[in-house]
Amino acid sequence: MPTPLAEATRNKIETDSAIADVASRLDQQPAINSTESFGVFLFRSLREMTNIKFALASFVVNNLRRRYRRSVLGFAWSLLNPILTMCVMTAVFSILFKQNPKDFGVYVFTGLLPWSFFCESVVAGSGSLTGAESYLKKVYIPKLFFPMVTVATEAVNFASSIFALILLAAVAGFHFTWTCVLVLPITALLFSFTYCCALFCSIATVYFRDFAHILRVGLGAVFYTVPIVYPVAMIPADYRWFYSYHPMARFVELYRLSICEGQIPSLEVWASPIVVTVVAFLLSFALLKKTERDIIFRL
Amino acid sequence: MDALIEINNATLRFRIYRNRTPALKEAVIRVLSPKKTASDEVIEFNALQNLNLSIKGGDRLGIIGLNGAGKSTLLKMIVGIYPPQHGSVHVRGKVTPLIELGTGFDHELSGRENIYLNGALLGRSFKQMRSLEEAIIDFSGLEDKIDMPIKYYSSGMLGRLAFSIGTIMEPEILLVDEVFSTGDAQFVEKARNRMDHLISKSSIVVIVSHSMDHIVHFCNRVVVLNKGAVVAEGDPTEMVEYYRTNIANVGAAPAPYKSALPQPVLTT
Repeated sequence: MPTPLAEATRNKIETDSAIADVASRLDQQPAINSTESFGVFLFRSLREMTNIKFALASFVVNNLRRRYRRSVLGFAWSLLNPILTMCVMTAVFSILFKQNPKDFGVYVFTGLLPWSFFCESVVAGSGSLTGAESYLKKVYIPKLFFPMVTVATEAVNFASSIFALILLAAVAGFHFTWTCVLVLPITALLFSFTYCCALFCSIATVYFRDFAHILRVGLGAVFYTVPIVYPVAMIPADYRWFYSYHPMARFVELYRLSICEGQIPSLEVWASPIVVTVVAFLLSFALLKKTERDIIFRL
Repeated sequence: MDALIEINNATLRFRIYRNRTPALKEAVIRVLSPKKTASDEVIEFNALQNLNLSIKGGDRLGIIGLNGAGKSTLLKMIVGIYPPQHGSVHVRGKVTPLIELGTGFDHELSGRENIYLNGALLGRSFKQMRSLEEAIIDFSGLEDKIDMPIKYYSSGMLGRLAFSIGTIMEPEILLVDEVFSTGDAQFVEKARNRMDHLISKSSIVVIVSHSMDHIVHFCNRVVVLNKGAVVAEGDPTEMVEYYRTNIANVGAAPAPYKSALPQPVLTT
């Protein structure tokens, strides 16, 4: 006669072994001819990602450590760096454009910071797989790991820059409202979009090594289509429709509305960023699924 | 649940691109004028061919063969680094590769930081590494230098650190590629004991070695690889014998010495 406790334990053990069984089946490499569906692939990718979160954290921390190693102020530079850059640029721009430095500075940097996060992540991310050849050929690491390291490292810099911006603006007497909190979901969305782009570009670079150079030039051109150093109001009304579809322009607008204007961005502003993020996600993971088993032979 | 490695009819093909750096520009040209040029020639060779191998719990499998026979590639295929183009590889159980020790060592970082980095790459968690840290440092014998950047380490010290990290945990499936000698005589002795211990504790051990003594000592089953295919399989002593007579000595038979330079004719 089994006691309830023994019964429960047995049930638990049975469930545990069932979980272990499913888990071990997922650990197996999929056979080449297996028709793994896109959903299963995404689930497996997510699982691989959670398995290596410690490796991710160590890589990111070490990247940051290396950047500020041997400097007297150490990690303080990650905050000091953006503060000083912003001071210099605000001074230059406000003299150049004869604007009130306080408002103009906040305006420019709410645009420039998200853009440089995106741009630097994608450029650095595009070389992340080719640069990780020595790792990929020695241990098994999922391919999606390396773009993630790059984007996460840049994201830490971005976060400290945004923090520095808010700090600086607060000291200068800029008026903030609670809508600043919206920076968090906006940044989460921008992070996802950036990661998907970086993943796509990193795979593209494996197959076409000069992709990274083309990308750099291309992004340099795209910079001028984003209203960062100029306001949209400067654009003739006939062309303004372009900015309502431009995802990066919309991302910048999201940041500006929540930080500068103290408004909750309307659904219309969110639409383009959300749509491009979903599209970028589907495209990049479809590409990864297609090339995952071939990349190692192309490095 | 027992550990298991099942390799079914696996073929692993490497492609060597004559054109080392594929460029977008050339891809565009190729689309515009679909004419084969020398630059997109591809040399293919099968590193492993129609390989069938079933390794079960309790097996200590030795793999022997000439250089380039595909021994290390086979281990890397089991780890999952190289997925086969045909056939399948199924691995059940946690794999610990002792293939290339010290992968991902960052020379700017300290020994302690590298313990965590290397452990992370081997798939360990932060908690595990924190509890293993002291044991690793202790085994490596680098207590006084552990917080120093590893670029100041000698190669022997690096080897000791890498070995200590790689072998700290008892694995289910242990893959060993020629890691039997690192460091000074004192450490070699310690390392040998550690390897003996690991091999006795693991459910499956796969050893690649050129040392036939090691193979005979550790293994209960041996496969002979030649040009990416299994040519013989069975008892270690017999296989070593087979390898020595049929493979190792065929190509490597000492050729009669002939100097390229014309010999001076000595006349007296």
